[in-house]
Amino acid sequence: MYFVIGDYVAGMLCGVLTALAVRGVVWPGMDMAVAMMLGMAVGMVVHFVLGFALAPLLGMFETMIPAMVIGMYGGMMFGMRDSMAAGSQTLGAAAAVGALVGAIVVFGLKMYDRVLRGEVVDTGD
Amino acid sequence: MDTETQRKWDIASRTFDFFSFADQRRFGPHKRRLFSKIHGATLMVAAGTGGDFQFFPPGLDVLAVDISSQMLERAAERARAYQGTIELRQMDVCDLPIPDDSFDTVATVCTFCSVPKPVAGLRELYRVLKPGGQLLMFEHVRSHIGPFGIFLDVMTALTRRFGPDLNRDTVGNVLKAGFRLRREENVYLDIVKIIEAVKPPSVVP
Repeated sequence: MYFVIGDYVAGMLCGVLTALAVRGVVWPGMDMAVAMMLGMAVGMVVHFVLGFALAPLLGMFETMIPAMVIGMYGGMMFGMRDSMAAGSQTLGAAAAVGALVGAIVVFGLKMYDRVLRGEVVDTGD
Repeated sequence: MDTETQRKWDIASRTFDFFSFADQRRFGPHKRRLFSKIHGATLMVAAGTGGDFQFFPPGLDVLAVDISSQMLERAAERARAYQGTIELRQMDVCDLPIPDDSFDTVATVCTFCSVPKPVAGLRELYRVLKPGGQLLMFEHVRSHIGPFGIFLDVMTALTRRFGPDLNRDTVGNVLKAGFRLRREENVYLDIVKIIEAVKPPSVVP
């Protein structure tokens, strides 16, 4: 249970920090392509720092892989949104959406892990 | 002895237990399940600080080797606490001073992410295993899932400076070394895996 809760908290934290960091560097009216690339870069930095900080508590891969998805793809989405000023006008709203994205990514990866987990090859020797 | 690799893991030994704290708890049951298959004379490669000795079934006779003397110093207390025999020796997996056909089982945990010449190291394990002997591995490998694989490639440029590579094709390397794959199991996505292989029995002419 510690790890399940920890994974979701870490994912939500990564989403919040990515959303706030992107909000800090992308302004309404910025070229969307630039905003998306900038958002992705910012998200990568956030995921990298947070991933390494939390890995000793939650495990290297279970931290780094969700953080990568949240940082990279979340950063792009937040950059696109903020360049268009399309919703989440306050910092609180942006943080809440970031947390929601983080939780959804963690949930999705847990489901994907369930699909992939188990035997790939068993020759029966 | 590969002194560059030795120095890297001597330095890593200081923080090894700290960074592997959560992984040991997450993956411990899987390692225990894998190591329950150990039988006969056993070689453990890259013993590290001995954190995985707790997952061995009691009563084994194990030679545990590592390239880092400082890892082995930290492993000594855990080896003494084990309810069986664990002898610790400093060795490079690519150049084992061990006769051919010596072991029934070779066990590794996150080892072939760190060996600079993985196929050479696996060929050494093949040599020291008896015909019909088994290789039990708990390893992380490169993902075949597009973005995850690219991410692990990118991260490896950084992590290999102070620790492991994250993008090794260890299953492929096991086959290249001559082993026959017995079993492959995904433990986390397709990145953390249990790999079981055997050295084919000798063919009598």
